[in-house]
Amino acid sequence: MRGWDGLVSSALLGTDRRPPGFEGLPPAIQQQLSDDAGLLDAAALATLYKRAGRLPLQGIEPLTEARGEDRPLPRSNAIRRLAAMLTGFQSAALGEWLRIADAKGWGIPPEHLPALADYAKSRAEYRPLVIAAAGRRAAWLAELNPEWRFLHEAVSDDPQLWTHGNALQRRAWFRRLRAKDPAAALEALREVWPTETAATRLESLGVLKVKVSKADEEFLEQALDDRAKEVRRLAAELLARIAGSQYGARMAERVAAYLIESQGVLAVTLPERVTKAMERDGIDPQAHPGLGRRAGWLKQLVAAAPLPNPATLQLPVEGVAAEVLQTAWAEAAVRDQNADWARALLLSNAATDGRTGELLRVLPEAELPQAIEHLRTTIDLSELVGGLPVPWPEPVAVLVLDLLAKAGTHRSWARLASTAARAVPPEVLNHPITREPTGEEDTWRLRLVETLIFRREMYEELS
Amino acid sequence: MGPWDVEQVLALASDPASAKAGQAQARVAKWSEAGSSEGALWGYCQGSGKSPYQTSVDLSGPAFKCTCPSRKFPCKHSLGLMLLWAAGGLPATEEPEWVDKWLAERSSRAEKAAERAEKKPGEVADPLAAQARASRRADRVSAGMAELESWLDDQVRRGLSGFEQRGYEELSRLAARMVDAQAPGVAGAVRRAAGVVGRGHGWPGELLEELALIHLTVSAHGRLAELPPSMAETVQTRIGWTVETARVQAEGEKVEDDWLVLGRVVEPDDRLTVRRLWLRGATTGRLALILAFAPAGRRLDPLPARPGEVVPAVLSFYPGALPLRALLTQTAPRLPGTKPSGLSTHQALAAYVESLTADPWNERWPLVLQDVRPARNGSTWALVDADGALEVLPTFDPWKLLAVSAGAPVTVAGEWNRAGFRPMTAWDADRPVMV
Repeated sequence: MRGWDGLVSSALLGTDRRPPGFEGLPPAIQQQLSDDAGLLDAAALATLYKRAGRLPLQGIEPLTEARGEDRPLPRSNAIRRLAAMLTGFQSAALGEWLRIADAKGWGIPPEHLPALADYAKSRAEYRPLVIAAAGRRAAWLAELNPEWRFLHEAVSDDPQLWTHGNALQRRAWFRRLRAKDPAAALEALREVWPTETAATRLESLGVLKVKVSKADEEFLEQALDDRAKEVRRLAAELLARIAGSQYGARMAERVAAYLIESQGVLAVTLPERVTKAMERDGIDPQAHPGLGRRAGWLKQLVAAAPLPNPATLQLPVEGVAAEVLQTAWAEAAVRDQNADWARALLLSNAATDGRTGELLRVLPEAELPQAIEHLRTTIDLSELVGGLPVPWPEPVAVLVLDLLAKAGTHRSWARLASTAARAVPPEVLNHPITREPTGEEDTWRLRLVETLIFRREMYEELS
Repeated sequence: MGPWDVEQVLALASDPASAKAGQAQARVAKWSEAGSSEGALWGYCQGSGKSPYQTSVDLSGPAFKCTCPSRKFPCKHSLGLMLLWAAGGLPATEEPEWVDKWLAERSSRAEKAAERAEKKPGEVADPLAAQARASRRADRVSAGMAELESWLDDQVRRGLSGFEQRGYEELSRLAARMVDAQAPGVAGAVRRAAGVVGRGHGWPGELLEELALIHLTVSAHGRLAELPPSMAETVQTRIGWTVETARVQAEGEKVEDDWLVLGRVVEPDDRLTVRRLWLRGATTGRLALILAFAPAGRRLDPLPARPGEVVPAVLSFYPGALPLRALLTQTAPRLPGTKPSGLSTHQALAAYVESLTADPWNERWPLVLQDVRPARNGSTWALVDADGALEVLPTFDPWKLLAVSAGAPVTVAGEWNRAGFRPMTAWDADRPVMV
């Protein structure tokens, strides 16, 4: 404002030294000033004149609008529960809430996106869910806040993204295409393969794990000669997953030379050396912790080869510890998702090198309770079921909750109860344990029931 | 008074868990310098922290005081002390000084409360004494205003240039003297002026603005008798006279309406949390402000309704030239609201000018902006429409608002002051969202 600076400099120097001049002030202010008005009188009027004369700023461009659509919002009680979880109440169920909402096609209220984006920033497993929930706002927010870059992964099917997108967009685009059209994804990868960095090659190859088939064999065979060791090893791993592949045939041939069944005994000869051809097929000549070098080579060969008849497991072994073969077969059984082998290994209490949980997952659901009952005589129950993917199959969940319902008050049940609280599937959330009175002293039972009821309500609200 | 029974003590616990925790504290070994008198119990209890907690119980209430951070009331230490006493574990001795002091404070407060309880609201127990008190205060305020005026004149004559060094201290001292002069409102204004000194390169201009408005208060106080009564009330409020709630209830202007809650702002402070709740009448269009206070860390009264909801109520307005602050008497259950109509940025600022015309000291004004879009404004944010943009306060966390808008025009209710706009509530389609 005109004249104001004069008032300020008078005030700074003092009116004794610099008497204030009011001539520079707008006429509207001068008219209001009496003859004996002092600096502060003028300043008060000028202050109000300035404050009242404030106009909107000009020349500021609004942000562009996010394109696309939003999903509909769930009911308000579901939204309230989400808000409570974001403030720390039962927040372990947040991922589940998002998964249900995603499956039912619900969006989330946009005001909760910032908190969710912050939450998913350091928890990668939540990211796809937050991206789905954010809808058209995902990329828009990612543009504004560099901390939420991962929201860029929300992509369209635009093939331009594969050649021109950033790393996040490319990965997301490729993963989607692989799930939808495996052959097209392989083709897209072939085109860019020679010019990609080793890290990107390795990552893209990892995506091929989804729906890997004979159609990928030729490409993977070439990748066995890749410049990068990690890429070569992953290619071998993928080839081992393809039933009837040449790779499988090569491995079967090698194994047949070292394992010979005669007169009801499995006679083992250990490999003398790792040939160049074996190395090309992913066998690592380095020593394995806890195993002799040659036993380690054998174990790798057996694990990479097609599985024999499960009856082989029952044969006495000569020439190497039986555990070496058992752990190799366990690895192959998990890879091939072979239920016969999984059953045979579990029921014979074979050495599985920590793969018990993974083997259990391979079994048909109906067989699980029996297998668990068998194994819990030697393995701690919470360790056993803790290895199962969440949510648990219904029969397992019922088995565990039945046990907990009958359990005493001892604290040793706390670990199993806390695992079960999160792991039982929605169909079992109405288990009788939630309707029985809980003893005030067993905190674990109280927490279990609380969590089960919380989750049950969550499903009801989002239905 | 003999010790209580254990059952009587346990009945004071707010829940079973705290009873249990109290029992765990009822061990002689946990306490030092603990004792009891006819009216009180006290002691030091070693907790998890470095220094022990100081616990005392006034048996006449019973009332409890403990330096522990627990929000349970009574806390486990108070309960433990009482249980120890009930079990005969506390020696009877003289009250130490700190206990004595607390008891004295409590009894004088109790007397005052009893005095207050004897009179009806609005009724003065001893009119002559009250008048004498009021006139004593008026004298002190006038003396304070005179001191303030001559101080201001001196500064302006000699110049503010040395203020960068001495200003903050000098203004803080002046503020303290204004508190002594029973003019807490002006004291606050002086403290605010102190906060401006040396901040940013434009501080001399801002300090001059603050001092000029204080000067305006002082000169208005000198002409109090000539001012219209409503303006005189505004000046007195500004100086720090408080209007009793009872008087507002009895004499304040009454407006009945369905009040839309535009939003709320909570400002935590070291000592006092302030909540401002802004309302707008559905038929009258009147704007109103409901203030709530709580000591830091304590809970504020529950909201009469959430932002975006409507509460049918009678408001009793405090007197003043810009009647804004009010007391609310709810007349019916709250209702869901619809998206309010709002103003363009230009119209909104014009409405603020009107408020300044009525009350030149008015600092905050509620605005409902319609169809504004978020924009970057340098390193901060702004809301834009066809008229231009209003800057958003730099301290405001913009992300919720940005996510709600996604670049599309939204209706936003907020608080305007000269530093910028502080959004309170945005409407996502018709759904109100606190931002």
